[in-house]
Amino acid sequence: MNPWLLTLLALLPPLLAPLALAMRGAVGQRLVAVQMMGSVATLILAVMTFAFDQASSIDLALAFAVLTLPATLLFAVYLERWL
Amino acid sequence: MTSVGLDLCLALAVLATWLACLGFLRLRSELDRLHCVAFVNVTAVPMIAAAAFFEEGVTPRSVKLVALVIMTLLTGAAMSHAAGRALALRDGPRA
Repeated sequence: MNPWLLTLLALLPPLLAPLALAMRGAVGQRLVAVQMMGSVATLILAVMTFAFDQASSIDLALAFAVLTLPATLLFAVYLERWL
Repeated sequence: MTSVGLDLCLALAVLATWLACLGFLRLRSELDRLHCVAFVNVTAVPMIAAAAFFEEGVTPRSVKLVALVIMTLLTGAAMSHAAGRALALRDGPRA
């Protein structure tokens, strides 16, 4: 089996831990869990481009990494002021 | 040699991610958990970029991956600061 595909499969279970924490608990815990999921998801998207040999899909990982910043900042502002 | 380097980088990336997620479950405070997020950003993402260079050398895809590493390091620090500040202001010493 392709080592990239093996890596992709091995990276899927770690996504479940922050997912479980993001679905319950305090709102601060959910923010941190979403951040963790974003980091692991970026990693998974980057590995997917090599596992499936789709060179153009690296842009998806880049776009996701760019969009994570305003999303987290917005969440943090809401958490700080209103939630 | 290239194959060994590739496998080693991918294995280290997976190991770092598992370690961070286990630490994420183990640690109790939100501020402590932010360290696990930073750990993934600092270790696993550069390892994947190194593996990409072992796989195909300098190509547009691997250069974009280096851009991703730089962006993850820079934005990860900013996001950790924003989240930590929001948690500290909201919860005070309990955070």
